[in-house]
Amino acid sequence: MIRVVLPYHLRTLARVDGEVQLAVEGAPSLRSLLDALEERYPMLRGTIRDHGTLNRRPFLRYFACAEDLSLEPPDSLLPAAVTSGAEPFLIVGSIAGG
Amino acid sequence: MKQPAPDHTGPDAPSGRDLSTQEVARYSRHLVLPEVAMEGQKRLKAARVLLIGAGGLGSPLGLYLAAAGVGHLGIVDFDVVELSNLQRQVLHGTRDLGRKKTASASDRLRDMNPEIEITTYEAQVTSANALDLIRPYDIVIDGTDNFPTRYLVNDACVLLGKPNVYGSIFRFHGQVSVFSPPAGPCYRCLYPEPPPPESVPSCAEAGVLGVLPGVIGSLQATEAIKLILGKGDPLIGRLLLYDALEMQFREVKIHRDPHCPVCGESPSITKLIDYEEFCAGPAKARATAGMPAEITVEELKARLDRGDDVDILDVRNAEEWILCHIDGATLIPLTELPARFKELDAGREIVVHCKTGVRSAKAMTLLLGAGFRNVKVLRGGITAWAQKIDRTLSGY
Ligand SMILES: [Zn+2]
Repeated sequence: MIRVVLPYHLRTLARVDGEVQLAVEGAPSLRSLLDALEERYPMLRGTIRDHGTLNRRPFLRYFACAEDLSLEPPDSLLPAAVTSGAEPFLIVGSIAGG
Repeated sequence: MKQPAPDHTGPDAPSGRDLSTQEVARYSRHLVLPEVAMEGQKRLKAARVLLIGAGGLGSPLGLYLAAAGVGHLGIVDFDVVELSNLQRQVLHGTRDLGRKKTASASDRLRDMNPEIEITTYEAQVTSANALDLIRPYDIVIDGTDNFPTRYLVNDACVLLGKPNVYGSIFRFHGQVSVFSPPAGPCYRCLYPEPPPPESVPSCAEAGVLGVLPGVIGSLQATEAIKLILGKGDPLIGRLLLYDALEMQFREVKIHRDPHCPVCGESPSITKLIDYEEFCAGPAKARATAGMPAEITVEELKARLDRGDDVDILDVRNAEEWILCHIDGATLIPLTELPARFKELDAGREIVVHCKTGVRSAKAMTLLLGAGFRNVKVLRGGITAWAQKIDRTLSGY
């Protein structure tokens, strides 16, 4: 199972607490993970990736194993530690409160 | 260009950088630390730090930086102390209600440490004054509470080459970093654009755990002191993520974007821009396109008194509805709205409101997308209604 940590405003929208666990077939890529996430939580469509272009929205970033995966091509495979569930896939959103 | 007049208080002759007997006693726990010692304490005394915002983050920042002996603290804020601030803004007290935050902060910090100089600027940071405000300082600390000011502070720091100790909070979550190009990325490298304003609620709308700014502001203060001392490993090129509910800190690497519009190889932002416009998003664009999308509380009251046929849709949460609501309104929390469109009559005029206007703007976008045509947002939300129309309602 792949563990995904959503930013707070999307946890509210998807009505989940804490991490989301997803099963992804085959060798999961950034794209297939996000597809699986949106399939399970259709209300997230358009919030992480742009509706039309499926590009990452510029106020969110993807991280895993302490590395920034935001600029990786969509078909790059996820790190093994994410695929095995040892490390979560983080979707981090810009916040501005102070 | 009008520069806000600074209010300056501090020792009359702050020239000598040697420590007085009083200061040696005051800073003795620092002086015995080899990483600080006399040299480090003198560096702190010589340092000039600008604190932008004297609210949630600014409270621990001001207290700890003053206590640590940062010799010159500048504080910028234009707000007054309100009751709802005191759940987290520990710099201010009940006796300060209604006072300017700069005045309250200055008094509290003078009491904390009369050895330091404090300069307050009772002003909003704007594109017109930011460079002049920041220029005299060595380090800037971003304790602001909105996206336009954060982009403004970032760009001004990049243009002037000042390190920006960044911290932000939302609900139970915090983020901290030190933006200091060329050693690491800037705020725009990390987040080139803010979220559309209607998509992310503010802390006033969504709440914030009172102790959260204490944690994040203290981390920022730690980073500022390390930068001054030149000791340790600063959070440059690293973003620290804090989740208070899970009680988890995560650290991720962040990198400079060679195409960054302000710190990249061929920057397009070479002077400060209009940050409200940059952060406004589609709702603003729609408003400026001439589509009347708002109604004031006075207009709504007059129309209801006339007997006009208007449906009022409240998109806050059930917990907020219990605190106060407008008579005759229908409650459908924003998160449930897409599943409950059919409960609304698209043929009727709908005035949608939330607490202050953020969620209602998002709701309007959803409603327009779902084919509702006659939708207006109540400007200022139920907060404005409670202040101007029905004073029996309790603000929250
Ligand atoms: Zn940059």
